[in-house]
Amino acid sequence: MMTNSTDHGGAAPNVALDKFYRLYGAIGFLPIMLLGLIVLFAIFVPHFLILPNVLNVLRSSSYLVILAVGQMLVLMVGGFDLSVGAVVALTSVSSALVMAGLKEQMADHPALIILAGVVTGLGCGFLVGLVNGLCVAFLSVSPFMVSLGTASIATGSALLLTNGIPVYGMPVGYVDGFGRGLWLKLPSAVYLAIAIVAVVFVLQNFTRMGRYIVAIGGNLQAAIVSGVPTRFYLVATYVLCSVFASISGLALTAQIGSGQAAINSQLTLESIAAAVIAGVSLKGGVGKVEMVALGALFLLILTNAMDLLTIDPRIQTIFLGVIVVLAVALDELSTRRTKRV
Amino acid sequence: MSDVDVALRARETGTAGALWRSLLAVLLPILIVAMELGVYLIEPRVLSIGNLRNILIQSSYLVLFASAQMVVILTRGFDLSLGASVSAISVASALVMTGLDAGDVAPWIVVLAGLVTGLGLGFLVGLFNGGIISWLGINPFVVTLGSLNICLGLATTISGGRPVFNVPDPFSSLLYNGKLIPGVPVPVVLAAAACVLLYFLLDRTVFGRALYLIGNNPRAARLAGLPSRRYLLFAYILGALLAAFGALMLTARTGSGEPNLGGSLMLESIAAAVIGGVSLQGGVGGVIPVILGSLFITMMSNAMNLLRIDGYIQQILLGVVIIAAIFLDRIRSTRA
Repeated sequence: MMTNSTDHGGAAPNVALDKFYRLYGAIGFLPIMLLGLIVLFAIFVPHFLILPNVLNVLRSSSYLVILAVGQMLVLMVGGFDLSVGAVVALTSVSSALVMAGLKEQMADHPALIILAGVVTGLGCGFLVGLVNGLCVAFLSVSPFMVSLGTASIATGSALLLTNGIPVYGMPVGYVDGFGRGLWLKLPSAVYLAIAIVAVVFVLQNFTRMGRYIVAIGGNLQAAIVSGVPTRFYLVATYVLCSVFASISGLALTAQIGSGQAAINSQLTLESIAAAVIAGVSLKGGVGKVEMVALGALFLLILTNAMDLLTIDPRIQTIFLGVIVVLAVALDELSTRRTKRV
Repeated sequence: MSDVDVALRARETGTAGALWRSLLAVLLPILIVAMELGVYLIEPRVLSIGNLRNILIQSSYLVLFASAQMVVILTRGFDLSLGASVSAISVASALVMTGLDAGDVAPWIVVLAGLVTGLGLGFLVGLFNGGIISWLGINPFVVTLGSLNICLGLATTISGGRPVFNVPDPFSSLLYNGKLIPGVPVPVVLAAAACVLLYFLLDRTVFGRALYLIGNNPRAARLAGLPSRRYLLFAYILGALLAAFGALMLTARTGSGEPNLGGSLMLESIAAAVIGGVSLQGGVGGVIPVILGSLFITMMSNAMNLLRIDGYIQQILLGVVIIAAIFLDRIRSTRA
């Protein structure tokens, strides 16, 4: 009796706190942190809130948003995709090579050249995703190892195709019109990122596939027993992730203006970091696309502010590591608390 | 076939399973011998004494790194920070040694300081990884991803991104070109000693057996009253110390602290462990599989170098081998 009454007594006065936690749980940790960060930087970091810098942050985060959204889908089915960075490199190289190669023969039809390049790039992404997905779905092997293998193969292929030398000679329209272009005063990549986030939002919330992805990641056995065609959806998820990586690669290539095999070696880890910061569980089943977009934005804003403060990029790497661990630790602790409540 | 079916079938196959397992156990040695003989037909130098000695030396480093990886993979974890921590340890110990060497300090103190710095930093990395993983229960992937970035930043910051030259000779002779046992290269002796120690640790101590149980069935380990968290922490520290030792040996070999020494080591260490037969599902592995896997990877890259195969193609082939290895791992775990 005694313990019972004290238990109730302890819980009652915390209504306000409880309310706070509920609100906190609804909004989540990330938007609050992001908002705080923006306010902080706007006050203390010079040139942070001027238009060119804002556009710069938006553009460079778009590439990561697209990657991280794909990564999120794979993480949600309980997987991993370590090959996204390699897919970006392979897409960049192969699409640039095709476009540069067709330049002479089809000089009158730049649109066709671009189409061929884009299709090649997307094809590479599709292929890598297919291999990843088939291995994971039909052999139930560890996605970590499969994508490690395909990453090695894709990177090797990209280097082999170019000998590590940048590929120039893409149509001017592709680079200036798409890659570096401003549409309605915003970088084109931003529209691409918004479109992909919107598509995945619809996919997650209003389609069968979205629910199946959660089911597969939440409990694979239960999904199989309930008659979900898990294999098909697993493969589809991996393909989607790789194709997103390709799209990001195409946009990045168009912006840089050349196909590069060493385009950005950190992209894979950053995409995982963005997803994880956004509360995507590595155990699968949990993830919200809008949060992941914010997660990518968060990382880029942080990097940008540190750049503006002329902090050594090497020290920035340390920061990035600390932030990833910190964000996940805080997330873990807060979910423990809500579970206890 | 679903996982449930697989589990049921695995239970049915008794003696056939045992036979299959022993077949797979000798598969890797057979592959290694076949590969070397095949290459010998084209390039006889592959079996020369000099080359074999070279392979032994090269693989002894990989054995250490793959062992480090194996210890944590046993517990269903892994260590993405391995390569980066190797770089950081190499640079830090080299900086300490060159700093002391410039002053008037006895050589043995310089060497000792280098060893202590390296192993101490390794201990800290292990403490960080293991501490967060075991006490907060956060996925090892995320934690070691974080420490990877921290170590990478540390390595490039303290070295300014440049190699640290002039590592004192006594250090190199202790860990690389000295004479510990006449006729046997020092790295091989050191790696062998580490392997023997690790073997006894994993096979004959409560801690070692506990790692297998934690990997096989974490719940059972907890219910059996094992201090799982503490053992998990120890596993990460042990792994980091092994990696630190390997990093010191590599530093002694290059004679300089290299901020990008660990470049591909993370992937190679995981690949070597998995190819040797360490299961990523945890609970399966040992020193001997790690040695075989490391030998296989070293010999493959050695053979390809002798055959003058392009480095980029080697990278592609490594990817193919990794995927092939997980196929094997899969077959092993369904038939076992």
